[in-house]
Amino acid sequence: FTLVVNTMAFLHLFIVNKSGGLIHHRALNPKAPKIGINEWLRIGSTFHSLHAIAAEASPLRMEGNKNPYGADDGIQEIQAAGLILRCFQTRTGVKFVITAEPGTKDCAYVLREIYVLYADCALKDPFYELEMPIRCELFTQGVDALIERVEKSSKQR
Amino acid sequence: GSLITELLRDFDTVEEIHVELEKMGHNIGLKSVDEILAKSEQQGIIIPPCTSLKDTAQVIAKTGFKMMLGINVDTVLSTDGNSFSLLLNENPLALFVELPPEYKNLQYSILYCGVIRGALEQVNLKVRCTFVKDQLQGDETNEIHVQLEQVLQDGAGDDYKEE
Repeated sequence: FTLVVNTMAFLHLFIVNKSGGLIHHRALNPKAPKIGINEWLRIGSTFHSLHAIAAEASPLRMEGNKNPYGADDGIQEIQAAGLILRCFQTRTGVKFVITAEPGTKDCAYVLREIYVLYADCALKDPFYELEMPIRCELFTQGVDALIERVEKSSKQR
Repeated sequence: GSLITELLRDFDTVEEIHVELEKMGHNIGLKSVDEILAKSEQQGIIIPPCTSLKDTAQVIAKTGFKMMLGINVDTVLSTDGNSFSLLLNENPLALFVELPPEYKNLQYSILYCGVIRGALEQVNLKVRCTFVKDQLQGDETNEIHVQLEQVLQDGAGDDYKEE
């Protein structure tokens, strides 16, 4: 007997830089489990390594371990009984990862929009150094607004 | 313009200014490529992964420059496929600019070279970029020459390869 959860909510967002360092983490919903900073750093680097190993372990190996999009091949989605994890890696090596409840749609869309927010808010911030933790107000506000918008529009469907 | 005058005050030789401008461009370039990739996807423009330097040249000219500066840029590929030239008929950086005689060798737009170098570095292409023709110095067009030096490898790759 398995209990299938089919609600929708985005839980966490985390962003990993080219070298595997965690540059951002954020809870997107009060329901999201509380994760301490040390655990976050572990999650970030573990995911980075697993993402890379997955390409090596995959029965279907891509040329140069690059997927058709042009970024490194690796974990795109993990579906578990209690959550989905979706990863979008940019062609510059940054990984945007989101976790959500199993009924959540639009994870891929949300990640692409977050990439645009990253380009507009974090990269354009003159004080933001590449590969460093993102501490830009505009970015976090943008992410919150995006999540709110997506959750509202999916409730209306 | 005022930025360049500041640089002229800080540095003595035109060479030093070029180095500084190129570095500034490099910093801009590092951040620009994500913006171009993110925004073009958002607007539904698909940029397929580049299979050869020819593709890279096309993306920089037709998507990059177009999106960032709104100008049309042409590309010319070399026969060995290891370098290409970008031809800019208009240069927004040099609008309303006239070089005074004592700075006639100033390559104002070497900034573009830095931008291209920084941007390509982010996608693992190491290039050398020079400004070979300059409208400000009397040439009929602006030409940026990009030479591919190395394709960088990153990722876990080698460490995890099966023995």
